[in-house]
Amino acid sequence: MSTVDLSVKVGPLELANPVLSASGTFGYGLEFAPLTRLERFGGLVTKGLSLEPLRGNPAPRIFETRGGMLNSIGLQNIGIEAFLSDVLPGLADFPPKVVVNLFGYEREDYSTLAARVDAVEHVAAVELNVSCPNVKRGGIQFGHDPGQLEELVASVRKATSKPLIVKLSPNVTSPVALGKAARDGGADILSAINTVIGMAIDTRTRRPRLHTIKGGLSGPAIRPVAVRIVYDVAREVGLPVIGIGGAETADDVLEFMLAGASAVQIGTALFRDPMQPNRILQDLEQRLVSEGVGSVRELIGAINIE
Amino acid sequence: METATHQGPPTAGFADHRAVVVAVDHHPWPYFTVTLEVPFANGEQKFANCTPGQFVMTLAEFGLEPYLRRAFSVFDIRTDANTTQIEIFGKVIGLGTEGLARLEPGKEVPLLGPLGQGFTRSASPTVKPSALIAGGIGSAALLLWARALLEQGEAFDFYYGGYAACDLALSERFEELARASGGELICATESGHRGHHGYITEPLEQALAQGRYGALYTCGPEGLMAKVAALGSQYQVPGQAALETEMGCGYGACLGCAVAHQDGRFRLCCKDGPVFALDEVVW
Ligand SMILES: Cc1cc2nc3c(=O)[nH]c(=O)nc-3n(C[C@H](O)[C@H](O)[C@H](O)COP(=O)(O)OP(=O)(O)OC[C@H]3O[C@@H](n4cnc5c(N)ncnc54)[C@H](O)[C@@H]3O)c2cc1C
Ligand SMILES: Cc1cc2nc3c(=O)[nH]c(=O)nc-3n(C[C@H](O)[C@H](O)[C@H](O)COP(=O)(O)O)c2cc1C
Ligand code: FES
Repeated sequence: MSTVDLSVKVGPLELANPVLSASGTFGYGLEFAPLTRLERFGGLVTKGLSLEPLRGNPAPRIFETRGGMLNSIGLQNIGIEAFLSDVLPGLADFPPKVVVNLFGYEREDYSTLAARVDAVEHVAAVELNVSCPNVKRGGIQFGHDPGQLEELVASVRKATSKPLIVKLSPNVTSPVALGKAARDGGADILSAINTVIGMAIDTRTRRPRLHTIKGGLSGPAIRPVAVRIVYDVAREVGLPVIGIGGAETADDVLEFMLAGASAVQIGTALFRDPMQPNRILQDLEQRLVSEGVGSVRELIGAINIE
Repeated sequence: METATHQGPPTAGFADHRAVVVAVDHHPWPYFTVTLEVPFANGEQKFANCTPGQFVMTLAEFGLEPYLRRAFSVFDIRTDANTTQIEIFGKVIGLGTEGLARLEPGKEVPLLGPLGQGFTRSASPTVKPSALIAGGIGSAALLLWARALLEQGEAFDFYYGGYAACDLALSERFEELARASGGELICATESGHRGHHGYITEPLEQALAQGRYGALYTCGPEGLMAKVAALGSQYQVPGQAALETEMGCGYGACLGCAVAHQDGRFRLCCKDGPVFALDEVVW
């Protein structure tokens, strides 16, 4: 048995280790049951959930690019009620904390969803996906406008006492400004980043690769962008941060933590290897032992910039 | 790697196996077969529950490009005293397939499977034979199903279409099964170098017009499968198609492989398919 302490406190959220699954890349958790040892994860973040089930976008929805992939799933999901009644009970036996990822198209959608899960025991925290168009405000994404974001977070804050995570979009000039708005609205934790808007074209057919023309880029290709945003946000906003974006290995997890992250979500890397989080945790322990680090918490924000 | 039990019975027991390459053959380039060996673990046979039409996700090497695993039909399976051999039949079209074609015996590759829902009988065995219709490399999804029909004493014709004669790779393996069942191999090439000069659906339509078949099973380019579906509906013959929608994960986690259905809903190609009834899909 190792003597390394992998547990972390991310604001009010206590995790056995800093490795979580990222929203939308882990189904609802149960898809992976045959493939991986769920109990090893620090936490599972669900696929984005809305009030009503959504059917999502037509195909093609994904296209692989160098070191990553574009997706335009269109937030297909089974809806909050089906999740709570059909899926969550199956996750209750697993030690990892369950974080529900929520989204809507109006401010009230978010607060209704948050209120719905507030009293649900196995929900450890709420993560807001704010990279959605606000239909009442001409489709500007909630996460692209500081004033609108602060209002949104404040209304969700009133609806739940669960630890509240706001997931930042990288597709803005200043993620720090949005992080501050989320903080002022009452967020406990920031997670960064959501996918980077991208596009690809088939030069033979001259057709866009995705049905929706543009989509979200994820995978190792976006990791430096994510590390930079985590670094800025962790230093300037004053809330704990969960790093997301192209993390695949224990080394990547350490990189995010040195930049200031208290925990890290693994997304696209799971698609090709659902056992990856288990491997990351193994390697992480070994790495800390070999470097004589007693607790992974010592590394949070420990970047050396002399 | 351990095998755990999945929620629903149809995909029970899929797991990520470490497979060893035992043979790579070219038929000729760009067509190839790779034979992978999966040792039994604790005496337990791997892929024992694999049904015709199911697939695996694999990659020659984890790198940045290609990044994600690629889907391949389980072309053939052989089992001996303590190993299972999985044969993949591929066509090089990009880096993922090229990586597999260039594998050398002895190399270890990850093999996730068996995945998805395979073929089931569309019509109860009748006096009428079935038609299996392959477009090019789509034939890879149909060998095990052909053998299953043969073993159940059902006759079928195997329609094999492609652009040129070389696109009807491994036709002798399909011909052998079709003949043993009492049927035959029917070929078509657009170039005219083998069999009917034109599309494979043309001889199929002639036979359908004579009321020859009780069920149609197809895999190939979408245009071909759509045409088979149209013929099936015109001549009121049921059938199934194995779809090859682009996949991110292969087991229901990314929701990337949506297939539009006539009921207005999407199904996941990897979990609900890849085999769907011809009349369910929006072609
Ligand atoms: C369930 C399933 C079973 C499959 N079974 C087999 C099989 O038995 N044998 C086999 O050779 N292939 C099979 N395929 C297709 C195989 O997965 C693709 O050939 C592979 O993804 C292409 O990978 P690549 O890296 O070589 O090419 P890429 O670099 O990914 O693609 C090269 C070009 O081909 C296009 N392309 C990619 N995938 C497809 C596709 N499925 N159909 C048409 N064009 C495509 C791309 O858009 C790109 O322009 C199957 C696919 C699925 C979903
Ligand atoms: C297929 C796919 C679906 C996703 N769905 C969601 C979602 O429903 N809600 C959300 O907040 N983020 C979603 N994301 C974004 C991821 O959670 C993550 O922020 C992003 O992919 C970057 O991390 P990665 O590079 O490790 O994948 C999705 C990403 C992918 C690839
Ligand atoms: S390929 Fe990921 S859900 Fe089907």
